[in-house]
Amino acid sequence: MGLPLFSASDDPGPSFFHFAQSSGLTPPVSNASAASAHATTVIAVRYDGGVVMVGDRQATGNYIASRDVRKIEAADRFTAIAISGTAARGIEFIRMAQLSFEHYEKMTDTALSLEGKANYLSPIIQRNNLSSPLLVLPLLAGWDGALQVGRIFEYDGAGGCYERFDFSTIGSGTPFAEGTLRLGFNAEMDRDAAIELGALAMYEAGDNDPSTGGPDFVRNLFPMIVTISSEGFQELAPDDVAERFRVINERRTQSGGVAGGSLR
Amino acid sequence: MSNYFYVAPEQLIRDRAEFAQKGIARGRSIVGAIFDNGVVLVAENPSASLFKISEIYDRIAFAGVGKYNEFDRLREAGIRWADSTGFTYSRGDVDVRALANYYAQHLGDMFTEGQKPLEVEILVAQLGNTTRPTKLYRIAYEGTISDEPRFAVLGGDAETIKSRFAASEDSLETLSLTLKNAVGALAGPDRIIEVGDLEVGILEDRGSRRTFTRLNDDQVSELLR
Repeated sequence: MGLPLFSASDDPGPSFFHFAQSSGLTPPVSNASAASAHATTVIAVRYDGGVVMVGDRQATGNYIASRDVRKIEAADRFTAIAISGTAARGIEFIRMAQLSFEHYEKMTDTALSLEGKANYLSPIIQRNNLSSPLLVLPLLAGWDGALQVGRIFEYDGAGGCYERFDFSTIGSGTPFAEGTLRLGFNAEMDRDAAIELGALAMYEAGDNDPSTGGPDFVRNLFPMIVTISSEGFQELAPDDVAERFRVINERRTQSGGVAGGSLR
Repeated sequence: MSNYFYVAPEQLIRDRAEFAQKGIARGRSIVGAIFDNGVVLVAENPSASLFKISEIYDRIAFAGVGKYNEFDRLREAGIRWADSTGFTYSRGDVDVRALANYYAQHLGDMFTEGQKPLEVEILVAQLGNTTRPTKLYRIAYEGTISDEPRFAVLGGDAETIKSRFAASEDSLETLSLTLKNAVGALAGPDRIIEVGDLEVGILEDRGSRRTFTRLNDDQVSELLR
């Protein structure tokens, strides 16, 4: 492509998505027939210094297509995006979000606010989901530098953006994960407690939902856990994650597969 | 019907060149130089928000002199070009030479076909890695592109500044020395440029994907000490 110059009146501004649309970079969406299950579980939990996110690693079609997919990515240093729904669209969505935030920053020499990023994604989701059966439902979590808190934004199928002040889950494992989160959440949790709760909720989802990959002790593959805090986006080391799931698994083994009367 | 008077092409080109040069000479100059660990771009710019130096891509930076609105539009087009090329292919496929050529073509077109030539001169710099070289391309108002081996000077006073900078430079120096030389060359013998009037951007590998950093006044003072 040549040098993309615009006159002042039809300049797409610092939005990469609008530029990409006007230059035909994003494919047109059509109403093809394909079914999509939101075969995934991703959890976001707020704690006193940020947000913990836990995501399973399994890609499910009619069978298990992959066991080591990454469904949570850093959109920039202080923002994480997780996806559920159609993998192809989800991956494109993450790339578009990552590039859009960076594009805006380079064009204007200022970073978008977290709320700005959350709102920016709405029409992109709407455009995809209302005109295509290949749905994608993301989850956005980030550290708000202005307010000095971690914040979570979830979306509905039409692109509506809702802030959650406690926790949020996306994907087919939601009912099972949410049950655990609702019982276990409290607003004063620290990082470790939030990780513990998130891992437990993921364990439940993996245990009950066939399309969610729980801890895989055979292949030594575990759900990914990240934190987003004033330190930025940080992923827990695989050993650390493995150990946390091993502890949960050990307890469950002793009590014959049930939680055994308390949330553990 | 309007009347057309014959103007010799040589005269037309001369007039246009003179017009562009006048516009460019009104602004302050910029020095871009390669140092031992990267590329530094230094501009004399009293504004702390209307930048002349900017990030284009992971390893590419931009500097412009002349009319702000004209080079800023080129800067934006460069960012769009780089981001969409990286989105279409891969981040590693974004190369400064292609961008420099597009800029040269556009400036050349505007010089010969536009209502008026653009009153700008720009510099695009690339920090090298294992697959690409470190590069400085200077593109003049009429589309002349030059591949500068060590350093480049943009702006009206370019020749004088160039000779001052060349005198102080023979091999790649540290960032601090290169910056001192650049600021000395911009200022000349009888003038001191305040740190607040300097805009400095560098391309340097610090372990992350993006290599461009804007240096703040404290960092610049520290390096100039």
